[in-house]
Order: sequence, then C-alpha cells, then structure tokens
Amino acid sequence: MSEIPLPHSAKRVVPWWLLRHETMLAVILLIALIVLGGLNNRFLTLDNLLNQGRLTTEVGLIALPMTFIIITGGIDLSVGSIVGLCAILLGYSWKNFGFPLPLAICFSLLVGAAAGFLNGIVITRVKVPPLIMTIATLALYRGLAEGISQARSVRGYPEWFYFIGQENLFGVPAQLWLLLIAIVVSAIVLDRTTFGRTLYAIGNNETAARFSGLPVDRAKLIIYTLSGFMAGLSACVLVSRVTTTRSDMGIGYELDVIAAVVLGGTSIFGGVGTIWGTVVGLAMIQLLKNGLALTGVKGDATIVVIGTVLILSTLVASSLQRRREGI
Amino acid sequence: MTASAHYAPPTTPLLSVRAIEKSFPGVRALSGVSFDAARGEVHALLGENGAGKSTLIKIVSGVFPPDRGEVLVGGKAVDLARPDDARRAGIATIYQELLLFPELTVAENIFMGHAPRAGLRRIDWRAMREKTNALLASLEIHDLEAERVVGTLSVGNRQRVEILRALSQDARILIMDEPTAALTEYDVTRLFDIVRKLKARGVAVIYISHRLDEIFAIADRVTVLRDGAHVATKRVADTDAAELVQLMVGRRIESLFPKITVPIGKPVLEVKDLERRPLTRSISLTVRAGEIVGLAGLVGSGRSELAQTIFGVTPADGGEIRIAGQKVDIRSPAQARSLGLAYVPEDRGTQGLVRPMTVRENFSLAALGKVAFGGFIDRGAERKLAGDGVKRFAVKASSLEQTAGKLSGGNQQKIVLGKWLANGPKLLILDEPTRGIDVGAKAEIHRLMGELAAQGLAILMISSELPEVLGMSDRILVMREGRIVAEFSHEEATQESIGAAMMGSHENAEKAA
Repeated sequence: MSEIPLPHSAKRVVPWWLLRHETMLAVILLIALIVLGGLNNRFLTLDNLLNQGRLTTEVGLIALPMTFIIITGGIDLSVGSIVGLCAILLGYSWKNFGFPLPLAICFSLLVGAAAGFLNGIVITRVKVPPLIMTIATLALYRGLAEGISQARSVRGYPEWFYFIGQENLFGVPAQLWLLLIAIVVSAIVLDRTTFGRTLYAIGNNETAARFSGLPVDRAKLIIYTLSGFMAGLSACVLVSRVTTTRSDMGIGYELDVIAAVVLGGTSIFGGVGTIWGTVVGLAMIQLLKNGLALTGVKGDATIVVIGTVLILSTLVASSLQRRREGI
Repeated sequence: MTASAHYAPPTTPLLSVRAIEKSFPGVRALSGVSFDAARGEVHALLGENGAGKSTLIKIVSGVFPPDRGEVLVGGKAVDLARPDDARRAGIATIYQELLLFPELTVAENIFMGHAPRAGLRRIDWRAMREKTNALLASLEIHDLEAERVVGTLSVGNRQRVEILRALSQDARILIMDEPTAALTEYDVTRLFDIVRKLKARGVAVIYISHRLDEIFAIADRVTVLRDGAHVATKRVADTDAAELVQLMVGRRIESLFPKITVPIGKPVLEVKDLERRPLTRSISLTVRAGEIVGLAGLVGSGRSELAQTIFGVTPADGGEIRIAGQKVDIRSPAQARSLGLAYVPEDRGTQGLVRPMTVRENFSLAALGKVAFGGFIDRGAERKLAGDGVKRFAVKASSLEQTAGKLSGGNQQKIVLGKWLANGPKLLILDEPTRGIDVGAKAEIHRLMGELAAQGLAILMISSELPEVLGMSDRILVMREGRIVAEFSHEEATQESIGAAMMGSHENAEKAA
C-alpha cells in the first residue's frame, strides 16, 4: 500500500482533519490487532491475515467504486443484487447456453456493467435520486436472479476456474492481487486525474461543477457503470472461491461495502473521502469479524460489535469536525 | 383615485414605524426609516431591489427585531420579537410565496391554528364552515367554497384565502409584499376591489410593489426607500411617475468607473430570436470585441435566465446563436466553454465557487484541460496556474491550499473570475459581478473589466446597480418580463430613462427617450 499517495490525498479539502481521521482509524485498527492477537495466538499469523485478505476481496472490489459514488454524494444500494444476478448468469450461461466459461465470465461482467449503466442513466437523465433508483434495482436485480435460477444452483466448474478464488500467486491469495491492483488504480484515478477532481467537485457543489463546464452527468454515468462492473467481477471471484452459484449470493453486501467506505472517513454527504480510508475501513471490519470469531464470540455478537465501532467512529469523526469548524 | 376623498390624516396613526435601524454582517440594511399608516389608508412602499423594503416588512411582521427604533400600533409601542407577537398586535403579512397547505380545504387553511372549538376541545367543523362563509360573503367572493381543497385553486383565489386568513385573525394592519407579481390582469382588478373593501372597513394596508401604475391606482400615500434610507413620503395625488422614478434611483454616479474607450471590433456574440420560455422571449442582441454591454432589469426580468440559456445551462428551444460569425448550437456549459464563452454566475456561493475546495482547485476547475495531460493533472502546472491567478487578481489568501469558502466575498469573486479567464475566453458574461463585495474589490473588478475590454474581450454584464451599468457599459439593454424592451447608448442613458424602462411606465419611458 506504499503506492497510495497518502500525503496528497490527505491534503485534499480538509488537510489535517482528514489526516487525523484516517490516522485515528489506523490507530484503532492497530490496537484491535494487538488486543485480538493477545487473546488468540492463531489471529496474528501471516496465514490467517492473508486468508482474511482473500475473504475481503469480494466486498473490497465493490467498495472502491462505492467510494467514488459516495464522494459525489450518491449511493448504490443495488450492488449486492448485481453480485447475485451476475453469479447466476455466469453459471446459467455456461451450463444452459453452453457458453465456454471465459465467454460466460465476460457475459456476466457485461451484465454487471449494464445493470450499473441502467442505474446511472436513470439517475442522470430522469433525475431520480440515487437512493430511490438503487433501492428499486436492489429488488429488481435480485428478483431477476431468483427468477432465472429457479432455486437451482450450478456447480462442477472446470478446475482452472478455481485458481482465482482459491490458489496463491507468489505466496499471496490470487484474488488479493486483483484487489491490490484495483486499489492502486482507483487511488491514482481519484487523486491524480481530472476525473477524480470532477468527482470531488460534484460532491462539494454539483451546480458549480456544472457551471464550470465539468462533465457532471458523464462522470456519474461512468461511476455507476463501474460499480456494476466491479460487482460483476466480485461475483466471479466469489463463485470461484465457493465453487457454486446460488441466487442468494451477495445479499447484504451493500451494507458491508457502505460501512467500510463510511468507516474510512468518506462523507455520506459527498465531497470528502479517499481510497486509503476505504482500505483501512475494509481491513478494520474484516479483522474485527475474524478476530472476534477466533476468540469465540458468536456471530450475532460480532455484528453488534461492528455496529458499535461504526457508531463510535462516526461520533469521533463528527466531534473532530465540529471542533475544527469551531476554530 | 376617488378613494382619497374620505382619506384624512388622523391624529394617531394605526401603525407607526419610527427610526428603524438594522444591520446584517457587512451590510447596513436600514438606517433610520420611519413611516406610518392610518386606519383605512393604503400606504405604498417603493424602492429598487435591495432598497430595504423586505427587511422593513420583516421587522414589522416580527421575523427579526430591529437594532434600533420602535414599532407602534395604535400609539402604543409593541415588542415584536416573534411573528406571533405581530399577529397578536393585529398585523398580518401576505408574502409573495403564499404560505398555505395545498392538501387542506379553504376553511381549514383560514382557521389553521385558531379553529373554533366545541366541547372537549374538538374542532367545531360546522362553526368553522359558517364563519368561512361569512368571511367570503363579507368580501363578496362568490366563486370560492369553504370545502374546496386549496391546491386546486388559482393563484388569485389562493391569495384571497390568505387575505381571509388574515381577516379571521382580526388583522387591522395588512402587509402585502408584491401581491400582483404572479396575478393575471383580472385577478389584479379583483384584488384591488378587495383592498378597497378592506380600506372601507378601516384596515391599514401596507402595499409593496414595483409597478408604478398600481400605486397610482390603489395607494393614498407612498414612501420611497433607497439604499436602506427613507427618501420621501408623498401623497399619491401630489406626485407623478417621473418624480417617483427620480426619487427611487436618484443616486449620484460616483466617477469610480474607469471605462476606457477602446476601438470596438467585430461581433463576437450574435443572438437572434432566442427562445426559452417563460423568461427568454425572442431575444436578439450583439456583443462586439472590446465592447461592454450592460443588461439592466429588475430581479425576475429574465436576465440570468438569458445568460444561462446562452451558456448552455438551460439550452435554447429556438433561435440562433453565432459565435464569431459561426452558427452554434450550445447544449452544455462544457460546450460553451470550448467555444470560448465564460460565465461568472450570479450566486457565487452556489454556482460559482466550490467553497470547501482549495484556492488552487477552484482556480483550475474550469481550465483542467490546460493543466492536465492525458487526464492526469500536472500538479506543478496547476500550482503555477493558481499562483499566477492569485498574483494577477491580487487575491488575499494565506496559501494556495486555503479553503476558498473562507475568503472574503471580493476575493471569492476574483477567484471565480480568474478561473474563467484562465481559459482565455472570447466572450465573458458577468452576472452581478460586484454584488455583496466591498468597495475596494469592486473598484478592482471594474478596473479589470476595463482592461479586458481593451484587450478585445467582449463582455456582457448583468447588473442591478444602475450606477454600475451606466458607468461601465458602452451600450445598455433593458429587459422586462423576458424581453429586451429598450436600448440606450452610453451617452443617451440616464438613471431615469433606464429606471422607467425597467418599471415599464411607458409614458415615462417615452418622455425620457
């Protein structure tokens, strides 16, 4: 993660506060690691940490475009359903249409992008608020997934397909490379390009961005399409890891994704946020889940802890911001 | 006006406003304004946009308290800390935007908050209906039923419901803020009938309007405000339109405006029969290189809408735009920018500046193409662009990384102007370029406009400040109700002639022309 230009991204908009928020989060993460590591000696092992990276990839891939979307002041709640739809179409087109598997993968990625494009086009052209539009497609895409699958799962994929989800490359889980590349590219795009600048401008003042001649609608269309595409990619990784396809895949992903992004300091009101923050947020949620499970905390209690952490971090962030504005 | 026949100044006015002063941060809105209104009198308040009329009525209706001065009702000082205090004192205000509940009936709206009660504090619906019918009958309104849902009524009828609501609370003083702004001619006549009935009942009406003809039709006296100060109170019978316009706009023109006479070049912008209803109607105009064209008009006359139609924010429905002789069809601000247009919008905070972003980021916002290569922003080039801008426009900022929203209004405006000039435009549209900024920054922006024109830039300037329009423009166009209604050269324009054209008092415009 040394690739991520921390000082520059932190300088954006609210220099020291954002730095403080992310630093604070990193410190909490560190403390959690030490405490959980002390409670269980299986937690702080390279094997376990890499395995957690494997498990977080599917949510992580979607959290990157979600960071873009939330920075513009939007939201995409349909990502979990797109994961389900893409997973089903991957299996269905391979098994029932007789597509070769590589073609089936491309097909499901394409469907993911199309699903995101539909969100984007209605949001920009018809001016439906993103929350409403993606709640509607959350239901619509999940319904399609269930209708197409008819509650039948698809399994028995060829061996090579399991590489991305289950094997290691240079000692690191294969899909983690995918996530790392996506993180670096997203961070550079957000921090260094005119496109990234456009996203911040939209989130901070959409009217002024429009009046300045920035391609506001095109940028929104791109990020919603990208979000759908990445949900499709996440579906492929997920199917490869669990070796089967079911229509309930990806249920609730939108909440994990948004929690990670917001925990990472991206403002739900738009204009503020970094990829770096999202990565820390992702790590925090995954390691808390795993660490608590290893120390014998039951599943329900884990969710309670994660909810509490989210509330606390929001409280600290807003009190920091209030202090900053009070000056 | 026959109504003035039974008007006689009484000894104790019903409403008396004495030496009101009010300041907002950076602005002195009212400085020692006094006026009074007697029972059965219609007293008009007249003044340009920003003269202080709205502030004055908000003080009288208890929206906010004055810094100094007092309001007397029936000779007794009243403390108007909240709108409810004003209501108790018998003061009711009808604002331009009507405050009704569209889903409720006429009767429910009228008695909202003070419905007649039966036992156990239940609402007495029958009494409410009867009282509503009595009110309707008392003003001889026959086309409104107590049970109608207000959302289905015409604007004129909704306004009548507001008036009835005021009467149901026994209002003795009725303030009407531009009541005819959205009315049809027929509704205006009916409104005047009602106002005359109220007069006959002894209600004092404070009537705010831009329209001079209405003041002569309905008012007994008129008080003119200018720049927050009381200019004159006249009996309508003793004055005429020309005098009122003179009183309203009659400022001295400070010789602050360094309009340099420069050779005027070829047309840069030619607009022909441009249409985008309702506020851009068959507009034709030309702006040439080196020329500053002033666009005057009241707020709501369609000036900003015209600018935004030319700039592609709200693309035109019809007509023709030529840039440097080339016919173009502008569909978006991005396209307008690439054609060499720049637009410094009216509302700096919401349309011009991205306040939470830094000075550097704001300077490069409209010129990202200039500092980016293959989509990647060259931070060195960006810093240089912003640094040059800060120097050229003498922006007072602690650093390029300072949040732009924390700068003063003048410095913010310089950044918005600077970000557009970074593109090297051919035509600059300025919408209220000096509104709300201090005198020093104002002079600098005027100096800059002169320089830019001298370099051959074509400038279209929208301004509500007549001295600015008169001082800076080579030519002046006047808009009213979406149309260009008059054109003056720099030499022939006077405050009175422009003011008359803005107001639409025709006989006066002819006199001036």
